[in-house]
Amino acid sequence: HLIERSWYAVTETCLAFTVFREDFSPRFVAMFTFLLFLKCFHWLGEDRVDFMERSPIITWVFHLRVAALLMFLGIIDAFFINHAYYSTITKGATVQLVFGFEYAILLIVVVNVFLKYVLHTIDLQSENPWDNKAVYLLYTELFLGFFKVILYMAFMAVMIKVHTFPLFAIRPMYLTMRAFKKALNDVIMSRRAIRNMNTLYPNATPEELSSGDNVCIICREEMVSACKKLPCGHIFHTNCLRSWFQRQQSCPTCRMDILRAPIPTGQQQGQQTPQQQQQQQQQANMMPGQGPMMPQFPGGFPMFIPPMVPGQFPMQQQQQPSTTQPASSTTATPTTSTSTQPTAVPGGAATTYTMPGSTMAGFPGISPYMMPPMFSPPFTPPPMPPANFAGMNDEELRAMEGIERSHVEARVQCLRSIHTLLDAAMIQIQQYYSLMSTMGPQANMYPAPASASASAPAPGVGTTPAEPTKQSDSVKGETQAATSEKPSSLQSDEDLSDLEGAVGFTPVEEVIIPEYHDEPVDEIDHQEIRRRRIERLESETNLAALDKESETK
Amino acid sequence: MAGSALKRLMAEYKQLTLNPPEGIVAGPSNEENFFEWEALIVGPEGTCFEGGVFPAKITFPPDYPLSPPKMKFTSDMFHPNIYPDGQVCISILHAPGDDPMGYESSAERWSPVQSVEKILLSVVSMLAEPNDESGANVDASKMWRDDRQQFNKMARRLVRKSLGL
Repeated sequence: HLIERSWYAVTETCLAFTVFREDFSPRFVAMFTFLLFLKCFHWLGEDRVDFMERSPIITWVFHLRVAALLMFLGIIDAFFINHAYYSTITKGATVQLVFGFEYAILLIVVVNVFLKYVLHTIDLQSENPWDNKAVYLLYTELFLGFFKVILYMAFMAVMIKVHTFPLFAIRPMYLTMRAFKKALNDVIMSRRAIRNMNTLYPNATPEELSSGDNVCIICREEMVSACKKLPCGHIFHTNCLRSWFQRQQSCPTCRMDILRAPIPTGQQQGQQTPQQQQQQQQQANMMPGQGPMMPQFPGGFPMFIPPMVPGQFPMQQQQQPSTTQPASSTTATPTTSTSTQPTAVPGGAATTYTMPGSTMAGFPGISPYMMPPMFSPPFTPPPMPPANFAGMNDEELRAMEGIERSHVEARVQCLRSIHTLLDAAMIQIQQYYSLMSTMGPQANMYPAPASASASAPAPGVGTTPAEPTKQSDSVKGETQAATSEKPSSLQSDEDLSDLEGAVGFTPVEEVIIPEYHDEPVDEIDHQEIRRRRIERLESETNLAALDKESETK
Repeated sequence: MAGSALKRLMAEYKQLTLNPPEGIVAGPSNEENFFEWEALIVGPEGTCFEGGVFPAKITFPPDYPLSPPKMKFTSDMFHPNIYPDGQVCISILHAPGDDPMGYESSAERWSPVQSVEKILLSVVSMLAEPNDESGANVDASKMWRDDRQQFNKMARRLVRKSLGL
């Protein structure tokens, strides 16, 4: 390829001639030929050093020759740079500028080759393969590429200032830039992959190594120690894997992209408290048979009645769409986890409000009756797994399992969001009731900001389903809620103790709970209101009446 | 020691000499340089290349097996997936990233899992079933598609030539 390269060099220099036409002379041609000659030596030196890597036996003659050649080339380059520099200083910008620049580039090449040579020599001296050599090579490439880019930039700037646009420098400049970009990218990607490897992937256990084929697919040698297991289950030597990651960030066997793949013991879960993980698992377990499982949690049925402030609920309605959006992503984070709000308040009906992302106990008992039929999920469901597993090998299946887990989590999240939406609807219903009811002003005493802040962290999904259906659903649920009022109020003391972590809510409840603890009265009031409504609407059943009522509104 | 590439090449050579696959012979052209191999490939039976013995040269990069080797037939070849100069164009010889034909998915590219043996077996199956989608030799692909008889005739002529007849 020497010929090919010199062809490019000749073309480029011919282009350079056009810029410096007036300097054309035999002396110039001689200098140019000499430059080409030297360039060829540089390339030969590079190839020699590359050869070191593949040849099993390197004699000391070889070392001597390479070292002498590199030294010689370096000195000549430095001399010509010096010469070009002084001639430019004394005579102004001539063709020497181009030569000086060319020699500067060549000097960088010499340095690069020399560093490579040193690295190879160190590698040859040591008995065992030197693991970090590739890393050093990568960095050498990066830094020298950087210098080259700078040099080309400077040259370009000077040329534009002095003469015209240096056409001949474009090709090498482009190549250098591309090489530099690639080197930079390689360094970044491989660093990420290697960091992943060091921190996340487990070392292979002796059992895994002894079971079955224990030949490292990269170097074809037996794996005894220092092996890593990728998330896809394939095992390699740590060093082999590292050098592969410098080129490709995927599993050599199954080509799973290790930077994009879900990591089983991933970071998202790592942030959660163990308690929450447990919850998530419980919920995940619950998912298929949600209805039957629910009765296990009626005890923790926290009550919360938002205040009846007439002017307030338009505002709250406005708030809901805006505040629900961001929260959907945060349901799983610890901040919202502890905020269960148990408060027993008299009202038109005993209703519930559960804070978003609440603990399992906070899952309202009404939800199984409301959730499944009414709500076809308004969000895009998590991706379904392909129906046919027959065509997949073990690795793919294993990878699928990892994906499946995230799908299940996504579904749990969806269900939670639905739950929250329902709760929000409940609040609204509650407000309608409160408005309607002729109850005394004590509900007004409830501070307005509390309810606003209560609805603020409500998680949900951006897409809010149609309100009317929700309301009628929740009214049905309400009657259910009334039945479970007692246990929850009994539990309220415990729940309060749990609440210590809740943000900004505890004081409010402490004020309120003593005020409204008179439950029998509430019960009576509630009955009375209901009776009145029934009379007024002349409906047959309580449930139907409530349904209609909400619909008319 | 000189690198893991050499070790792996030696291991592969050993493996190939101990259990040679049918119709394939391969080894370093001289013991000094393990990065240049020569291979002989027998044309697969039942195809137009049946009976031929085709010599090829395999060149390994210094960072083998992280980068793929290059394979080049040293005899004349007329095949849709072999460049007129003899260079073999199959996807497992291309590193992910460079895609000369723009059609290969990365799943069929080079990875350290591949080996000389697998490459040679792929080449044998390539001889049996050319892939005319990626025309390394456009004339050959065209003839393979449009004028199979003529292609078979060309192939048989190459077979005779490879046997020195």
